[in-house]
Amino acid sequence: MISEQPSETELQPTTATHCPYCAFQCGMDLAGTPDDLLITGSASFPVNKGALCIKGWTAGAALAHPERLRTPLMRGSDGELHPTSWETALERTAQAFRDTRARYGPQAVGIFGGGSLTNEKSYLLGKFARVALQTPNIDYNGRFCMSSAAAASIRALGIDRGLPFPLEDIAGAEVVLMLGSNSAETMPPIMQYFEAQRENGGKLIVADPRLTPTAQRADLHLRLIPGTDAALANGLLHILVRDGLIDTGYIAERTEGFEQVRNLVATYWPERVERITGVPEAQLLRAARMLGSAASAMILTGRGTEQQSQGVNNVLSFINVALALGLVGRPKSGYGCLTGQGNGQGGREHGQKADQLPGYRLITDPAARRHVAGVWGVAEESLPGPGKSAFELLDSLGHPDSDGSSGVRALLVMGSNVVVSAPNVINVEERLKSLDFLVVSDFFLSETAALADVVLPSAQWAEEEGTMTNLEGRVIRRRRAFAPPAGVQDDVTTICNLAWLLGKGNHFDYADTAEIFAELGRASAGGPADYSGITYEKVEANDGVFWPCPGPDHPGTPRMFTDGFPTASGKARFHAVRHASPAEEPDAEYPLYLTTGRNLAQYQSGTQTRRIPELSDMTPSPLAEMHPLTARRYGIGDGSSVRVSTRRGAADFTVKITRNIREDTIFAPFHWGGMQAVNRLTNPALDPTSRMPEFKICAARIESTEGAK
Amino acid sequence: MTDKQKLVVIGNGMAGARFVEEMVALGGQEQYDITVIGEEECGNYNRILLSGVLSGSHNPDDIFINPVDWYAANGVELHTGVRVIGIDRKGKMAYGAGGVLMPYDKLVIATGSSPFVPPMDGLITDEGAYKKGAFVFRTLEDCKEIIDYAASGAQSVAVIGGGLLGLEAARGLLNRGMEVHVVHLMAWLMDQQLDPKSGELLMRSLEGPGVQFYLEKLTTAILGDDRVAGLEFKDGSTLDCDMVVISAGIRPNVDLARMAGLHVRRGILVNDSLACRNDQNIYAIGECAEHRSQTYGLVAPLWDQARVLAERLAGRNAEASYTGSRIATKLKVMDVELAVAGDKDALTEDDEVVTYVEPNRHVYKKVIVRDGKVTGAILLGDGSAAPRILQAFDRQEALPENRSELLFPMAGDAGLPMKVEDLPDAARICDCNGVTKGRIMAAATEEGCGSLKAVCDATRAGSGCGSCKPQVQAVLDLGRNKLEMAK
Repeated sequence: MISEQPSETELQPTTATHCPYCAFQCGMDLAGTPDDLLITGSASFPVNKGALCIKGWTAGAALAHPERLRTPLMRGSDGELHPTSWETALERTAQAFRDTRARYGPQAVGIFGGGSLTNEKSYLLGKFARVALQTPNIDYNGRFCMSSAAAASIRALGIDRGLPFPLEDIAGAEVVLMLGSNSAETMPPIMQYFEAQRENGGKLIVADPRLTPTAQRADLHLRLIPGTDAALANGLLHILVRDGLIDTGYIAERTEGFEQVRNLVATYWPERVERITGVPEAQLLRAARMLGSAASAMILTGRGTEQQSQGVNNVLSFINVALALGLVGRPKSGYGCLTGQGNGQGGREHGQKADQLPGYRLITDPAARRHVAGVWGVAEESLPGPGKSAFELLDSLGHPDSDGSSGVRALLVMGSNVVVSAPNVINVEERLKSLDFLVVSDFFLSETAALADVVLPSAQWAEEEGTMTNLEGRVIRRRRAFAPPAGVQDDVTTICNLAWLLGKGNHFDYADTAEIFAELGRASAGGPADYSGITYEKVEANDGVFWPCPGPDHPGTPRMFTDGFPTASGKARFHAVRHASPAEEPDAEYPLYLTTGRNLAQYQSGTQTRRIPELSDMTPSPLAEMHPLTARRYGIGDGSSVRVSTRRGAADFTVKITRNIREDTIFAPFHWGGMQAVNRLTNPALDPTSRMPEFKICAARIESTEGAK
Repeated sequence: MTDKQKLVVIGNGMAGARFVEEMVALGGQEQYDITVIGEEECGNYNRILLSGVLSGSHNPDDIFINPVDWYAANGVELHTGVRVIGIDRKGKMAYGAGGVLMPYDKLVIATGSSPFVPPMDGLITDEGAYKKGAFVFRTLEDCKEIIDYAASGAQSVAVIGGGLLGLEAARGLLNRGMEVHVVHLMAWLMDQQLDPKSGELLMRSLEGPGVQFYLEKLTTAILGDDRVAGLEFKDGSTLDCDMVVISAGIRPNVDLARMAGLHVRRGILVNDSLACRNDQNIYAIGECAEHRSQTYGLVAPLWDQARVLAERLAGRNAEASYTGSRIATKLKVMDVELAVAGDKDALTEDDEVVTYVEPNRHVYKKVIVRDGKVTGAILLGDGSAAPRILQAFDRQEALPENRSELLFPMAGDAGLPMKVEDLPDAARICDCNGVTKGRIMAAATEEGCGSLKAVCDATRAGSGCGSCKPQVQAVLDLGRNKLEMAK
């Protein structure tokens, strides 16, 4: 994408914005035109410091992509999607929403949002659900992302901000324990902080069933059996207690509930933990001693630990370790979650979740309802209660509710490709098809959009204004470099126009996104994620502002918990959690673990990245990784075709034989659709608290399909 | 006050307390008033860790699983320091010493086991106690007494019994600076779990300053007037020592059950529901129970039984049944890694026995394979293979045809770092940006990039996470060399 005519592009003004992909939100400068774009990593932005990965460098290719949607589409009587005008598309949508409400009640219209939408869009979508549609049924794909870590952090620490410290602190930590995160592939520019940490003499421990590129850089790799995370944590804490490496002063002053945890971990002696986790005792001892003897240490979790039916307990068990070592709130130390999606952090704070109102408030909290209703200028009673969580919402589409009322029959999907990214997508596709009406906003005809009655072409990252909140809780500015192509409209305008058509336009009357952000700030005021002191100007002047920022003169909060926890007692809470088996364990019929994840050159459901030639060239199709002994047992050769089956269905992959995976486990990435969608296979067993599906573990069998072609 | 049934649990050890914990977790109190009777004065502690307390690695406070206040907090009535002396099955009543009466609807016997103490002259004093300086090693109280006595000036100790527990006791006492003599009746250590060769290698790896072993020695007398001064063996030889710890095995505590008329063989006979053969309102779990001719002394089977019984009684799964456990254990005997599972020898001619012995390093690996599944294993001196083999044993997994891959799991696991010279042009050097060796070579040779920065700027290599920069530099050097050569 480097311009061949630099003299011309240099004349163009550059726009400072951020990468469209992951939660690291690299700063980047854009110059040129959409079809001839020069992207440079922003050296002055203190997060990525100039670095970009190949997804960032090539992000411009999606802007002028030939497959880009440039007009709304509507399904005709022939069953096909045809171009139509915005007026017709929106009127059809509004009419469908009105009809559904009239016939089945307001709860029958649902919204499914996304963790890559800006704060303004996330906020507006939540407000649209509660004010314009008056439906409780709104949730988003972030539920499939960090919801387990979020729930655990709130229970243990009183608040959820992915990293409660700036990234720069990583470089100064003596020891970092990373669980179930492959950030060298999923968030490559973050690795500069781990490189700096290593140069400073620090050590890295990675726990993962795979020897991932991230694990390859570790000083110690714990290759645990999938689903045994909490046993590992309890085992480490057992050793720390035994060897007197815990911080009893901190435990006494700043925490509560340690006694029960100490009693619980007495049952996790190393020999037992080795048998449960498959991690040799010598490695358990080494890991515990590294952590316990360090002056500063961090524990970071990723999706591997969180996307389980035990996800919340897994995270709680590691927060226990962090608290017992006195790490949380100490310099260069603490517990953090490495958020996944671009606005995974901000997207979960402003009311896009079924149980939340802006500012990370609970929709069941009367004070929160009163406050937000006041800001919105609506009656408190008019706000609906909590709705269904993401998978439950998708799973219920077209079905009546348990109380006999109608379930969701009309759905708006914005910024999510659920027939690729949800668990058990065969079922999700059936549910979507059972709807009376489906409208999807996206910039390509994603697998989900292809099922819609109406498709709304939306603006992309470089064509819109707003804010994002990165994995550190740093609110940053997304800036518009270009107008959207003719026929394309940004989601803010779409939501507001729909609100007007539904007769609620007076609540959706904004001059620009700054006005929406200011209202978001007022709505969040006093809540855990308080944005009320943040303005676009302040963000621009300071390379971002860390929430909470409760007032105009407040500088923001880069480091949390330094002198207390936002819990009732002001102390952090231990939680005694026994490990439990995953919902599905290998057996004679399905003898292997199947785990899923991401590749470096693809992003999420692949809607964008699969269309970018450089990225497709690097990873053209999904590879199922397996150990050579496993491959040999099933007579499968490297590069051959394999069918992977579970109790949900089957999917087809090409085999990659590697010793970097356990013999009992196979891995496949989830970026592809159709028969290559690994989420045809995954188990929708939910965590009881976070409602996170168990993407990371199910039982599978494999068979060669080499001769079948 | 309620129409709840009364559930009485005799025994507050590893099995009894775990069962109560499972009942509480499953909401069993909706149906039962639960009472637990423990003979020891304290709450429930992890007996597995007593050897850690003895060796000083564990603080006694850190081994409690359910302290006394846990029971009250969870609505369970606990009687500590009470020995149950009788069960009236007709009247459904358990009698505790000191006049405690406990009516029951369901009774769970989890009385565990006691140390087996072989007959020896001079062990029991006229008062009926052990001679001063003689101990068994079973409870936290035993453990504390051993520690106190060792600290009061004892220099040398004889441990009677070279089994698992004896060796753990020996390790603990060695850690406390004592001279340790291990006296074993059989021809090799841990004869229950090991074959002769591994037993011999284990002994050789344990021998050293402070530890001596005496095999095939039957202790006939404890010497010393008012306190232990030595041992006398059946062959007439003697051994001087200041104290003796007897850990010659365990015996299920079945007297109570036998007196109550329950069917008892080695343990209390139970069926797959864990109910006693001749009384369906009485259950037995743990070391005191005998299920399918098997009594267990390891914790995992006990906890399996506790779980099954709790699921049945709490009504979660009335059909839950216990069908036996696969026995495997991993232990550290004086810092020598040892894992054993299942059979120690081949049982039939068709059994496949794979053995690797490295006498010099005291490494011994033996796996017994039947019908393509691991049915037994002994892994001494090398902890790396144990997790994989025990998993194959636990889950009866299919095995690699080449059995050596099971014994040496890490062989060939990590490839050697490749030299950049040997890489093909298509090899990717920078993963973040997909930059190949060929692309970097081109920048270095054809595009005149002379510095790392110039190469990185031109190719984007190293501009993601930055960790490939050493390799980029190496390729750049290779390219510059090539240019030099061409001159």
